[in-house]
Amino acid sequence: MPNRADKGLFGSVDGWAVAIYLLLAAMGWVSIYSALYNEAHSSIFDLSQRYGMQLVWIGASLAAALVVLLMDGKFFHIWAYPAYWLLAAVLLAVALIGKEVNGARSWIMLGSVAVQPTELAKVATALALARFMSDRTAPLATLGGVVKVMCIIAVPMAVIVLQNDTGSALVYCSFLFMLYREAFRPWIYSLLALVVALFMGSFLLNETTLLVCVLLICFLTEAAASRQWRSRISFMAALGLAAMTIYFVGGSVVSRHIPFHVCLTAASLVAALALVVYALRRRIRSIFTSVLLFVGMLLYTNVIDYAFDHILQPHQQKRILDLLGIEADLRGWGYNVNQSKITIGSGGLFGKGFLGGTQTRYDFVPEQGTDFIFCTIGEERGFAGCLVVVSLFTALILRLMKMGERQREPFGRIYCYCVASILLAHLVINIGMTVGLMPVVGIPLPLFSYGGSSLIAFTILIFIAIKLDSNKREDLSL
Amino acid sequence: MDSSKYNILRVFALVCFGVIVLRLFFIQIVERKYKSSADSNVLRYEVQYPPRGEIFDRNGEFLAQSREAYDLMAVPRDVLPFDTMLMCSIIGATPESVKAALDKARAFSPRQSSAILKLLPKETKLKLEELSFPGFYLQYRTVRHYPRKIAGNLLGDVGEVNEKILERDLYYRPGDYIGMSGVERSYEEVLRGRKGVRISMVDVHGVHRGSYMNGLYDTLPELGRSITCTVDARLQQLGEELMAGKVGSIVAIEPSTGEILAMVSSPTYNPDDLVGAERGNNYAKLLNNKQLPLFNRAVMSPYPPGSTFKLINGLIGLQEGVLTPGNHYPCYRGYPVGRGVKCHGHASPLPLIDAVQTSCNSYFCYVFRNIVDNKKYGNLNSGLDRWNEYVRSFGFGRRLESDFKDERKGNVPTSQYYDRKYRDNWNSLTIISLSIGQGEMGCTPMQMANLSATVANRGFYYIPHVVKRIGDGDSLSRRFYEPQYTMVDPKHFAPIVEGMFKAVNRPGGTAGVAQIDGIEVCGKTGTAQTPHGKDNSTFLCFAPRNNPKIALSVYVENGGFGATVAAPIASLLVEQYLTGEIRRTDMLNSIKNMHINYPHYAK
Repeated sequence: MPNRADKGLFGSVDGWAVAIYLLLAAMGWVSIYSALYNEAHSSIFDLSQRYGMQLVWIGASLAAALVVLLMDGKFFHIWAYPAYWLLAAVLLAVALIGKEVNGARSWIMLGSVAVQPTELAKVATALALARFMSDRTAPLATLGGVVKVMCIIAVPMAVIVLQNDTGSALVYCSFLFMLYREAFRPWIYSLLALVVALFMGSFLLNETTLLVCVLLICFLTEAAASRQWRSRISFMAALGLAAMTIYFVGGSVVSRHIPFHVCLTAASLVAALALVVYALRRRIRSIFTSVLLFVGMLLYTNVIDYAFDHILQPHQQKRILDLLGIEADLRGWGYNVNQSKITIGSGGLFGKGFLGGTQTRYDFVPEQGTDFIFCTIGEERGFAGCLVVVSLFTALILRLMKMGERQREPFGRIYCYCVASILLAHLVINIGMTVGLMPVVGIPLPLFSYGGSSLIAFTILIFIAIKLDSNKREDLSL
Repeated sequence: MDSSKYNILRVFALVCFGVIVLRLFFIQIVERKYKSSADSNVLRYEVQYPPRGEIFDRNGEFLAQSREAYDLMAVPRDVLPFDTMLMCSIIGATPESVKAALDKARAFSPRQSSAILKLLPKETKLKLEELSFPGFYLQYRTVRHYPRKIAGNLLGDVGEVNEKILERDLYYRPGDYIGMSGVERSYEEVLRGRKGVRISMVDVHGVHRGSYMNGLYDTLPELGRSITCTVDARLQQLGEELMAGKVGSIVAIEPSTGEILAMVSSPTYNPDDLVGAERGNNYAKLLNNKQLPLFNRAVMSPYPPGSTFKLINGLIGLQEGVLTPGNHYPCYRGYPVGRGVKCHGHASPLPLIDAVQTSCNSYFCYVFRNIVDNKKYGNLNSGLDRWNEYVRSFGFGRRLESDFKDERKGNVPTSQYYDRKYRDNWNSLTIISLSIGQGEMGCTPMQMANLSATVANRGFYYIPHVVKRIGDGDSLSRRFYEPQYTMVDPKHFAPIVEGMFKAVNRPGGTAGVAQIDGIEVCGKTGTAQTPHGKDNSTFLCFAPRNNPKIALSVYVENGGFGATVAAPIASLLVEQYLTGEIRRTDMLNSIKNMHINYPHYAK
């Protein structure tokens, strides 16, 4: 058994996680230098430039990491709620009196330094979630528990939406990742997948195809549940026949063309009514559920249309249409994503070399030091460099999950999973946005994007996990 | 540890990783369009046009000069509000036209430069440079200028590249100029030089950020090389003046080199008309001119050669052994067999030399039939094809491979042709017109001049060419330095030359009008029938008889007898070329003032 004194202060700290962290932070610093390179201030240490400042932030972050490692592990448990409420209050204050940057009122001035508390709020929320869920034996088993967990997530999320920072709010959805680990009901995830699929389907498919898909989903789930394939298939055939009859006969009766999807909807609704009566009488739950699902999906698709037309703002509509490949306006709102794709795409296999990126150097990329920092990597380091960065992030996420799994206390496990969730969300949304897989929402790439608030917050987020992990291992080794 | 959920989440994280990596692989490795998009974002190609090479005549006189001119270019995005009236007063345009040009340029591309007004003179450029019009700049170009305003068709014109050229040749970009015809076209690559390009980088605001790769891919413009033509400018000018009011062509060749001394296609045009702002309008006018001034008759128009062709039939007869100079053939004011061929009054029977001198139709009918009906070849088809071979060896019925790209072949009929035309039902009498250069014969004036040079050389010719020297070097294609022998042995040429000499210098000759005191001119007249009005007047000659310096073909459509127009024109040109002056001013003036009516061109 190793002697604790021999291991030193950081002996039980997870070396892999720290190494990946340091590597990412260093690469981030060089990327910012490349992205914002200014010939008049060519030193990477020049404090008048952002890359010089980023070094200061890295120093501050390392100090913060040290403080976190030196603190007692219990501290985080104790301060989880106070920190949560404090940050919630600060967020609200910022939403009301903060400084507006790029349309989001999420910055507050501390002297001459602008601070974005949004980033730190994620740490507090993760701690509060870990505290709440670890204090109870089965927090997600009761409806009350679920509601409370949802509230912990929803409060900061709501305030951030109030700040008009949709992207950061979206990150809070990632806690679903952690909740899955904590035995949250799996069918909710299927339902969510369905909701997303239907959302995209409602834009990409025509009415008839969409309706047929919806019917097939309901029919297949019900048939799979009841295992009555033969009767269900004949029922579907009858439904189709009925729709056809309405289409041809009805069309000639009113002597006007009736769209097929209208006929199919009408037939389905009548059938659904009959089925509900039938299911209630025979007490066949699967049919009832299936009909409910059908009606729900039908309503949902119509709500999407309405919401898209009436609730979303024009720029949000355009981003969605752009993402789904329905419309493109490369001079207008599609410009950013297009330039971002050009930048990354032009990097090729090994990139154009350090400071060799023409897209980056000559400002074709918007926000290239912050949200679009990944473009610099893509252009100058090519596919190889991107692969390294994405791999490192994925390794860190997997490492955090592993660290969570080896915790003895649920508090540590839940917290580690929260960190993994947040990092995964940032990775997928940020890089997905630069390569045109996700809509453009302004969230940073952790440890890469320029900004003290973001870097320090992510450092604290990660190092609390590392601290909790080392605590448990020290306990074991004692 | 709930390992199943842990594993599912690990797989989920890895799927996210996989999706991102696949997408990156697709846009970075598979899809190539992003690379070119990035280049077109940042790279700006600034073309530097070299001045076009100049063209001199054989004595070093300018035929075509390059004058600097400037295109007013604009990058619409960078154009700030400017004093439109001031600019318009300098460049001499209306505000409306400038505005329209700017709108068009903006519609084309706000970032790329477009020409607003082309080919402004240097004075305008200097005035514009004193003032500042942001977003505008001047692009150096060169335009042609023709001091003597002659040889339009020979020199050819320079115009903007069209879609077809752009597709074919990647060197050219929209707005570039290219030689469209004549020497300008044949020697385009010599004359144009090579465009230089300066590649620079601009940032997102269009601001220049230095050269690309430190100028690694920049190229300096390579000056166009000058060309010295074989043409004698004074002879050319005289030729054009003599052909005024007539449709036809003159080609003069130096027999000892194949150099073209003059090439006139009439009507001609002032080459300056096809330069600059009025080019489009003038070009359209020339295109609409019924007499086709843009059609270079000298190398493109297939004419029936008429009696001048008798020279060839005589030569072939001698070579084939079916004719000796002493052979006499009768003439009954024509050839009596078959439909017959008419002739004019002269002594009969005649030997070969006298037949050439008097241009006896009958004589050459006998000769021609002897050639094609020669028992040696078994049948008429083989006989005619043998004849065809001979004629082709003189450069007829095929391209001479001169340096005119638009040179045409003309036509020398084959047996196959007649088999098709007469459905195998023909004999040597059917095609008897060939004996006197009529019928299906089609010869360009250059081919006829080449015949004249061949006879002058007694049996060979050099491929006619119009360029003497490229730049400072002597780098013409080898083919222009190699004598081309015909299938007729040089020893057979003496009687033909003698006949041509007598035709000009002895009483009873057809071309006495071409006689020049002190110069031994040898000539052969031709009067070619045409379906369009009066006969065509044609004349072949060379002079002096020994060691000839010039060989000519003159062809005047509807000019009547060969001696009426063509022979005096040729004679005057010979006089000018060999003596440097013209003493027969009466003849000069009467020819210059002769205007022939061409009713069929008016249709």
